[in-house]
Amino acid sequence: MAYTDKSKLRVVYGDYTLGVHGKEFNYIFSYAQGGLESIVKNGYEWLYRCPKPTFWRALTDNDRGSKFHIKSGSWLSADMFIDCKDVQVFMDGEVQKIYAPDNNSYEGDVSADEIRVQYTYETINTPSTTVVVTYTVDITGKIQVNVHYNGVKGLPEFPVFGMRFVMPTLADKYLYKGLSGETYPDRKAGAIEGVYEVSDLSLTPYLVPQECGMRMDTEWVDIVRHTSLDNSRTDYSSQTLRIEKKDEPFAFSCLPYTASEIENALHHEELPPARRTILCIYGAVRGVGGIDSWGSNVEDEYCISAEEDIDYSFTIC
Amino acid sequence: MNADIRWIDNPEIFRVNQIAAHSDHDYFTNYEALNSNSHNLIQSLNGQWKFCFSRNAMSRPADFYKEDYDTSYFDKIMVPGHIELAGYDQIRYINTLYPWEGKTYRRGAYSIESAGDGTGMFSEAEYNPVGSYIKKFDLDKELCGKRVRLFFEGVEQAMYVWLNGEFIGYAEDSFTPSEFDLTPYIREKDNVLAVEIHKMCSAAFLEDQDFFRFFGIFRNVSLRALPEAHVEDMWLNPVLNEDNVSGTLNTNIRVSATENQDMCARIILKNVDDQVILERNIELEDKDGDFVGSISDDIKDIKKWDNHTPYLYKAYIELLKADGEIIEVVPYRIGFRKIEIKNKVMLLNGERLIINGVNRHEWNPKTGRCIGLEDMVSDINCMTRNNINAVRTCHYPDQIPWYYMCDDAGIYVMAETNLESHGSWQKLGAVEPSVNIPGSISQWREVVVDRARTNYETFKNHTSILFWSLGNESYAGDDIKAMNTYFKERQDGRLVHYEGSFYTRQYEDTISDVESRMYAKPYEIREYLSNHPKKPYLLCEYMHDMGNSLGGFDSYIKLIDEFEMYQGGFIWDFIDQAILVKDHVTGKEVLRYGGDFDDRPSDYEFSGNGIVFADRKEKPAMQEVRYYYGLYR
Repeated sequence: MAYTDKSKLRVVYGDYTLGVHGKEFNYIFSYAQGGLESIVKNGYEWLYRCPKPTFWRALTDNDRGSKFHIKSGSWLSADMFIDCKDVQVFMDGEVQKIYAPDNNSYEGDVSADEIRVQYTYETINTPSTTVVVTYTVDITGKIQVNVHYNGVKGLPEFPVFGMRFVMPTLADKYLYKGLSGETYPDRKAGAIEGVYEVSDLSLTPYLVPQECGMRMDTEWVDIVRHTSLDNSRTDYSSQTLRIEKKDEPFAFSCLPYTASEIENALHHEELPPARRTILCIYGAVRGVGGIDSWGSNVEDEYCISAEEDIDYSFTIC
Repeated sequence: MNADIRWIDNPEIFRVNQIAAHSDHDYFTNYEALNSNSHNLIQSLNGQWKFCFSRNAMSRPADFYKEDYDTSYFDKIMVPGHIELAGYDQIRYINTLYPWEGKTYRRGAYSIESAGDGTGMFSEAEYNPVGSYIKKFDLDKELCGKRVRLFFEGVEQAMYVWLNGEFIGYAEDSFTPSEFDLTPYIREKDNVLAVEIHKMCSAAFLEDQDFFRFFGIFRNVSLRALPEAHVEDMWLNPVLNEDNVSGTLNTNIRVSATENQDMCARIILKNVDDQVILERNIELEDKDGDFVGSISDDIKDIKKWDNHTPYLYKAYIELLKADGEIIEVVPYRIGFRKIEIKNKVMLLNGERLIINGVNRHEWNPKTGRCIGLEDMVSDINCMTRNNINAVRTCHYPDQIPWYYMCDDAGIYVMAETNLESHGSWQKLGAVEPSVNIPGSISQWREVVVDRARTNYETFKNHTSILFWSLGNESYAGDDIKAMNTYFKERQDGRLVHYEGSFYTRQYEDTISDVESRMYAKPYEIREYLSNHPKKPYLLCEYMHDMGNSLGGFDSYIKLIDEFEMYQGGFIWDFIDQAILVKDHVTGKEVLRYGGDFDDRPSDYEFSGNGIVFADRKEKPAMQEVRYYYGLYR
């Protein structure tokens, strides 16, 4: 098991974290932070904080009109604060004892074909529910992310369900294969499939900042950055991180702000300077509706029940 | 006659000494002027005027119109423009509520006993700002010695006019032209034009549109000299027969002339290749001091007008002296098309009409409802580009060029009359018409019929207009019924639209040719159309595109295939109404909406429902509009 075969993953069983390393990739899975803490590719960091399940997209004017926030507002707090209850690590299919002093038994770096890290999150809303996020790293460095949401009777409808990645600096652009423009489940018939490049990450300038920038039915998205928070870095070349679909296409948005930041602004100029990249990969997205802005809900087929399980997956390449 | 400040209180006085509403045609003194589009008989009065702002009528400089009045303390203001955007009065946005909500208790005159006849309601109000405008001008050479009219294209909301100290007239109806004869008082040099504008008058009850509440001279002002003989009004009514290739052109003209004119009139009709289709003299006869003439001509091999091929013929009305010299030539481009209801389905030129429409307010983020030709061109192009084939001029008549552009582009127009009294009958969402204006109140009847008349008379020659709309969200009563009667009596073949019959079924048969709804849910439409529907169905407003919206379009589009009688609708709406201002914190230009000017109460961001942003950039949802509207174009 000791790290001898350079073609395999090099696994470091730390006291707070699990290091998973390979050719030009270095991943840190944190027990303390409750999530994937670091994705380094070619020496370049892609994460600022651990990806967490997200349950909120900023309200639209139609949501406000239909009092969606009054019915489903508890998901906002669930989105902002979540507890990581459990972490499990599987190496080549076997569950590992990861905490000190058990990790003394590894006696050094370890090699593996596959590492699977499974985080179980518990929400703070009532009734509470859990989300299980499983990261599976293979020797090529691909991370397959499987996300399972446990539906619980009595929970109000979701605005979205997905995973939120916060990147240290603002992206230069992103490219994706999917649908043209800003699309939603109930507003994508006019979109054209293709590969698109978006270099302006700013919010769609709706009068009041609100949910925007959704891209449905995506095959892959490449985030391109060159800036870094690493004071020692002198390489300013463009770096790319790709997220691709596993089985089904996914929805995503890539904006400089979190939903709660957007929620707090009544005008665009009230938003802070754009300094991060917030990439959300969604497994379920609520429509925007359009019948009116003072009561009509989004049509039934475009609403998301939180009483039923949601499973989706994607791959970080 | 002297002006009376109490006219602003009185719903029965709304036009004094105005020239009767008439066709919006252009006129030239000869073909050379026409071909070079030179309007040497028109003198623009746009530009800098002297201006004085007062908080109310009591404190206004009442004598400012007198020639010896010392206006040295007056400010300067640009015309056209809104007084609020010039910084004099608070910018304010509110939707259905009257702008005095929570500040002044008001009920429309005669709507309830306590309101009485309204005397003092506006003229003695503590807050009802007045703009006193002065323009000094010399008459352009070409205008001297001729009959001269003063032509306001839009003044909000009540206006008194004096020239050289003499009272000229009074006008309301903010969104249609107001025209006065200056001939008796005008001089070649040193004319003093004085215009006193009141922010609110009794018409405030009729102009409760969902928009920023502005006042002032916000559209062009000009002097218009008339040739010795002048087509005052004309109605070119092209009728297309069932076969879509033959028809009739009915020509009606009314001519005014200075004394002793021996003249004749002629109509010439040319196709787009300048081939003469028709050339005929029109016999004129004396009538009430003017000359009128009517002829009808059969036309063959007609190319019909529609959205796909907006074919327009060129008509010319010529007024000639006995020796054949042209006195005046009036060009107008007209199309042959037929709108009708057959078997409860609206047909255009015999085919089922599908309305892929949008409501459009006139808006520019820098200048408000004072918009320029470039804004209109941009809007037409945007509509054409995105398969939009119809526009509702919500909720007032637009600037004149807009209708010409719609004729040209084949955009079907629902021409709405300047009327909305939403605040008088809907309270906290509930229908509560106890003090509805105009309702069935006789004292309010003439003013609303006059608005219908002005709308009709001004725009009747526009091929693009398929519908007259009685107004928006004003409930229903005998007065609105009288507006419908007015339009019906014109027998111009167009349909009449009003949504209010939904609330008041007793007027169902007398105020609208169509079943019109706003924001009906798809299942409600299905319900109506599945249960012995009486009329073809359209949505005068639907798909409320506030912020990030326009989802679920499919559910409406499906109805087009499902029900022959479902004929589409007008998206709410075209452009976000927001105002570009300098942010006091960052110094950057930012967009502001209701409540951002300390205006309370407000409906805040509810003014932003466009399919384009306030700067006319397309919202992301536009690709959806283009797609669905493209399916049924």
